[in-house]
Amino acid sequence: MSKLIMRGVSKAYGATLALRRGDLTVEGGEVHVLIGSNGSGKSTLCKVLAGSVRPDSGEILIDGKAVTITGPHAARTSGIGIFYQELSLAGHRTVAENICLPDMPGGIFVDRAALESRAQRYIALFDTVSGEGFSAEAVVENLRADQRQLVEIMKALATEAPITIFDEPTSALDRAQVDRFFEILRDLKVEGRSIIFISHRMDEIFAIGDRVTVIRDGETVGTEKIADTNPGAVIRLMVGGQDELAPGASAPPATAAARNGAVLTIANFSGKGFANVGFEVAKGEILGFGGLHGQGQSAVLRAIFGANPSSGGTLALSGSAFAPSDPRAAIRRGLAYVSGDRSRDGVISGRPILENVTPIHYLRQKLFLARPSALAERVKPALEALHTKFAGLSHPINSLSGGNQQKIVIARWLIDRPDVLLLDDPTKGIDLSAKADLFSLIRKLAAEGMGIVLYSSEDAELLNNADRILVFNGGKVRRELTGADRTRYNLYQAAYEAA
Amino acid sequence: MTTATLPTPKPGGLKRLIERYPFLPALLIALVLLGLNGLYQPRSVSFIGITGLVKTYLALIMLAIAQTYVVYAGDIDLSVGAIVSLVNVVIVVMMEKMGGSGFSVVAALGMGLLVGLACGIVNGIVVAALRLQAIVATFATSIFFTGLALYVMPVAGTPAPATFWRTYGGRFFEIPFVFYAAVVLAIVIYVLARTRLATQLLAVGDDAQAAFQSGLPVTKIRIQGYALCGLFAALAAFCITGDTASGDPLVGGKMTLFSVAAVVLGGSALSGGFGTVVGSIVGALIIGLINSLVFFVGTPSEWQNLVQGLAILVALMAGILVGRRARA
Repeated sequence: MSKLIMRGVSKAYGATLALRRGDLTVEGGEVHVLIGSNGSGKSTLCKVLAGSVRPDSGEILIDGKAVTITGPHAARTSGIGIFYQELSLAGHRTVAENICLPDMPGGIFVDRAALESRAQRYIALFDTVSGEGFSAEAVVENLRADQRQLVEIMKALATEAPITIFDEPTSALDRAQVDRFFEILRDLKVEGRSIIFISHRMDEIFAIGDRVTVIRDGETVGTEKIADTNPGAVIRLMVGGQDELAPGASAPPATAAARNGAVLTIANFSGKGFANVGFEVAKGEILGFGGLHGQGQSAVLRAIFGANPSSGGTLALSGSAFAPSDPRAAIRRGLAYVSGDRSRDGVISGRPILENVTPIHYLRQKLFLARPSALAERVKPALEALHTKFAGLSHPINSLSGGNQQKIVIARWLIDRPDVLLLDDPTKGIDLSAKADLFSLIRKLAAEGMGIVLYSSEDAELLNNADRILVFNGGKVRRELTGADRTRYNLYQAAYEAA
Repeated sequence: MTTATLPTPKPGGLKRLIERYPFLPALLIALVLLGLNGLYQPRSVSFIGITGLVKTYLALIMLAIAQTYVVYAGDIDLSVGAIVSLVNVVIVVMMEKMGGSGFSVVAALGMGLLVGLACGIVNGIVVAALRLQAIVATFATSIFFTGLALYVMPVAGTPAPATFWRTYGGRFFEIPFVFYAAVVLAIVIYVLARTRLATQLLAVGDDAQAAFQSGLPVTKIRIQGYALCGLFAALAAFCITGDTASGDPLVGGKMTLFSVAAVVLGGSALSGGFGTVVGSIVGALIIGLINSLVFFVGTPSEWQNLVQGLAILVALMAGILVGRRARA
């Protein structure tokens, strides 16, 4: 009897279907790898199992018995433990407290001795690789990133759950730490525990996995024995029968870019989440950032714009040196940044559309006073260029759909044209027709000579619109895809390449 | 041999000390203030002077402790002062109605604790279960609690029975009652710090989402924090009743933000997840010492508020500077 069976699990967020039909069967004593491209639904499937997301339909059987998982607490009592990709640690607490947090020993009072000894059991597992300053009493906040990830692993191990999910547990670990972790996983396998393992490194998947389940577009498309397959076959399963680059329809000739000078030149750029990134964007070129989500693409864009700090590197705008300090300075120098996270980075919530379009205009023209009617004259063409649907400029921006809100945010940059447009996953959560409008505008802007950097977590958008694609993995550029190399297969292969 | 026990002045030693005892900068400030008090009014550092200080500020200390448990979880309670007022009038009216006997005092205090607990639970439900913003929601409940207090006792002035305030201000075996209270308080705090709840509150304050994902019952924990806060607010009300010996439906209102200030002065983070109860006690003492110092140096009455405000700002800045210097 299988340890865990998930059948026909689906989950929609509003109109977007995150998971259409997720199936997963995990045996006792195996490491089961879950793999899929961005937005394929693998994380959603795990979240359903861990109780942080309630599914719309589908059934979950553990040891052959149907279970309903109502929340993280219920998941734990059903025997499911999880390692979270976004760390779930309490920074001001000690290592020992964090390891035991989900299930503190003792009644009303914490049994300190039991807590220490329980924590010590898991700390001891990694004794040889945990590094300097790592102890039960160390405050988590003071630890290095890899040590924090080890704490998170220990916390997941301490649940002693028969089924444990590890969602990218090795992203911050060094080689020795990964090796030790895998030894521990193999021991758990011998004990009969089931491990669900998500990783973005193909070599790790083949080193530790017993079977692999591939998810594509919210559907489970197959499960293979690792021993019977190879990385190429797995990637082909991820790609499936999806169309390769739509020919001609979109991508302008890459040579057009080469003729022009560079508008943005970056070398050895480093900061939090990325290192030694270097590239050039030519006038009229759309440079794509690809790879799995959160591999440094967004961090690079935000650092160029000065929204996040950077620690080193040289940048130049049209040949003259530029040091990112804050967004205000970047805007003055002709940079523009549009984020997919509209509510955090874009929309001025509750304010009229007019006010949402004009802030950059105010800044670049150093306006102090302006007549709304004069502003409206400048705003309207920018909005029309994007086919924005709105009832009136005085209506609040919240009355619009997500797609139209994003158009307003983009229109903000079109009154005074920037030289370089940084797009940070700009189509997140917007509808198809708005996406089409957006990309036709982006191509038009490029044709008029703007340099554009496009990061998209949707691979199809990237393949169809970018002239060149830099594939990120672990904060570094792993490969550059140009011309006919811009295929889904190459993209996935580079994204899953060993870091 | 004795030198071996001294901490070696290695780099980071001070940092570790402050990490372990984050209230040390506050304690330093409090000691400086105490010294200044002694300088301007030698009698203020005498046994009687200290007794008076503790007697007057025990209520604020209690209230600062109350606020700390809520701040632990990243919440805030702007109704603590109103709870003090409500409990104050409830116990005074009850003692009066029951004739002011020893039994009536005990019964009224029990009732006071229940009222404080109930107010705390109401706050907890409103903030954690109904998910209203803590600042605004507890501001609203503070108005509500004040309304209840005004219903119970429309005008200030009903005296508390002599048995009650004589005990609070009195001495047993030559030692003032407030010191016994302080010792009991110290034990209670020591015990509370070792509860699961304290650690869970801090974990929730650190990152509520992370705590939820770890399987902690976040809503329940936050409600428990507010309940604990309500209980300590009731204790603060007992102290203030003992000190003023009368009922006043508005007595606690102005104490609310002083309790928040005391928590911050004591080195706790208002964002939650980091802090100590001892720090809040020291913070409350700093406020008390500033008030008495302003009086002792003979500040004209029209300038007292201004000087008090400036002094609290300076204390806040000094605390941050000392803490940052040590951590750097």
